[in-house]
Amino acid sequence: MIATIKSEWRKSRFRPAFLVASGIMAAITVLVYGVNWYLALHPTATRGGDRAIVNIATLYPDQFVNNVMGAAFPIGAAMAIVVGALFAGSEYGWGTMKTMFTQGPGRLTVWVGRLVVFAAWMLILTVVLFAVGALSSVVVALFQGHVIAGPAAFDLAKGMGAIWLILMVNGTIGLALGVLIRQPAAALGIGLTYVLAVELLAVRIINLINNGQYKNVTEQFVNQNATALTQSFTSPVFGASVPSPISADHAVLVLFAYGIGLAIVAAAALRLRDVT
Amino acid sequence: MENTTIVETHGLTKRYGSGVLAVDSIDMSVRRGEVYGFLGPNGAGKTTTLRMLVGLIRPTSGTATVAGHTPGDPKGLGKIGSLIESPGFYPYLSGRENLRVIADMASVSQKRVDEVLDLVELASRAGRKFGTYSTGMKQRLGVAGALLKDPELLILDEPTNGLDPQGMAEMRKLIKDIGQGDRTVLLSSHLLGEVEQICDRVGVISNGKLVKQSTVQDLLGEEGVLVRAQPIEQAHEVLTKMFGADVISRQDGALHLKTKPSNSVDINRQLVAAGIGVSELRPFERSLEEVFFQLTGEKQGS
Repeated sequence: MIATIKSEWRKSRFRPAFLVASGIMAAITVLVYGVNWYLALHPTATRGGDRAIVNIATLYPDQFVNNVMGAAFPIGAAMAIVVGALFAGSEYGWGTMKTMFTQGPGRLTVWVGRLVVFAAWMLILTVVLFAVGALSSVVVALFQGHVIAGPAAFDLAKGMGAIWLILMVNGTIGLALGVLIRQPAAALGIGLTYVLAVELLAVRIINLINNGQYKNVTEQFVNQNATALTQSFTSPVFGASVPSPISADHAVLVLFAYGIGLAIVAAAALRLRDVT
Repeated sequence: MENTTIVETHGLTKRYGSGVLAVDSIDMSVRRGEVYGFLGPNGAGKTTTLRMLVGLIRPTSGTATVAGHTPGDPKGLGKIGSLIESPGFYPYLSGRENLRVIADMASVSQKRVDEVLDLVELASRAGRKFGTYSTGMKQRLGVAGALLKDPELLILDEPTNGLDPQGMAEMRKLIKDIGQGDRTVLLSSHLLGEVEQICDRVGVISNGKLVKQSTVQDLLGEEGVLVRAQPIEQAHEVLTKMFGADVISRQDGALHLKTKPSNSVDINRQLVAAGIGVSELRPFERSLEEVFFQLTGEKQGS
């Protein structure tokens, strides 16, 4: 297993898809902070200038955990699907699947090693996101002359865990699609269509049936739970929020179930199918 | 007693879901230490058979033992190096880094990477990205990857595919060198000259069936002498008296004798003494190409 993880890490540590994804996540975080900072300081730019739609207090370091949640979903989730689909699907196009499966470790060992390295990359993306978020909030605080005080360590750990889980689950959707479809392009296309359109449409349609009689079905959808989890990170400075019908605990359980389920489905496909 | 067979299959069959019978009940046997040529036209089932031997695809029926294990068994794979179809490497990594990835996966020392790069004469270009390699360099890197484990059995699937004549000659020399000593090489090819030059034994596959398996020499048949003379009837009589009727056959206006070429001097002397004009007298050997077309039922030059 250690050999497989070493090999998977060696091949992916300079992989452009991961490096580009890290860069994009960092850029999005900076952009979100930049735009919100502008909106906070220029209330006339929005709503006729009666009030700012962004409270400057939300951009300070003590709120940065709550703030980066917005950058992580749905854009971060979409990025994770793309990276997952490329990571798994490209192996078929390059013919490297057969190279790896003929080296010695069993197919399931290779798959578990790949999942471990992918999980490590999702953690790196999470750390990049939080590091850039923290840095951006410090820059805002310095310019505004606000005292620099970070969030509680527990809140920070909880926030990082939530983002890692969301990225990992969506990344596993990409991985599983890459394995099942055996090529990256269609896998990432289907994955993105699902996360950005199909699930949202399905939720609206289901909620319309019999005045929302089947609403509990939508509470089991993957990104309804991801949304609920990110929305659970908020504070009074963000203004009044509508409580989500899905609790954070429920969201974590459902997301774990999706991640494990998809990993098992992909493992079964890898184990049983011919490599042609 | 040590088992002298490294690959053995019994009734190995692969039928795809679409109903296509790619490999039809193959009984194949490769002995330790030999260079075995797996010969067949394109689409005959060579690659499907090799994929089954390394566990990439599962047979529909039949059994196979490779390096003492069932195909795909990690213990068996540890003794096998393979290059199946085109070399599969990561295009964004250098040749050397690609081999390091494989070495890690196979639990092979990183020192071995430079050894195999030297062996395939790719060390000076190992720092370039695989995506920028020429076809010949890719094939060489593929062979290097197959050699990383210093395998008992090396399976090479059409390794000269896509190479220019010089590249093909270099690859043939490389395979000959690799096949020295105790290592077994199972080489698939549709190039008859390649198999004739490199291999000790040959298996010929056609339409998924193994139609012949023997040494190259047995496949080509016994050596003989071709005689072209006038009048041919009289020459036939003289030679029948010399060797007996059962060793002489008549083809395309010439006489084929199953006898040693060293008898040519006597043959010439007797025919001339009988007043027969000899226009051609030479050792005769069937080419592998002739045998191949006869076995596979394909038409020469078609």
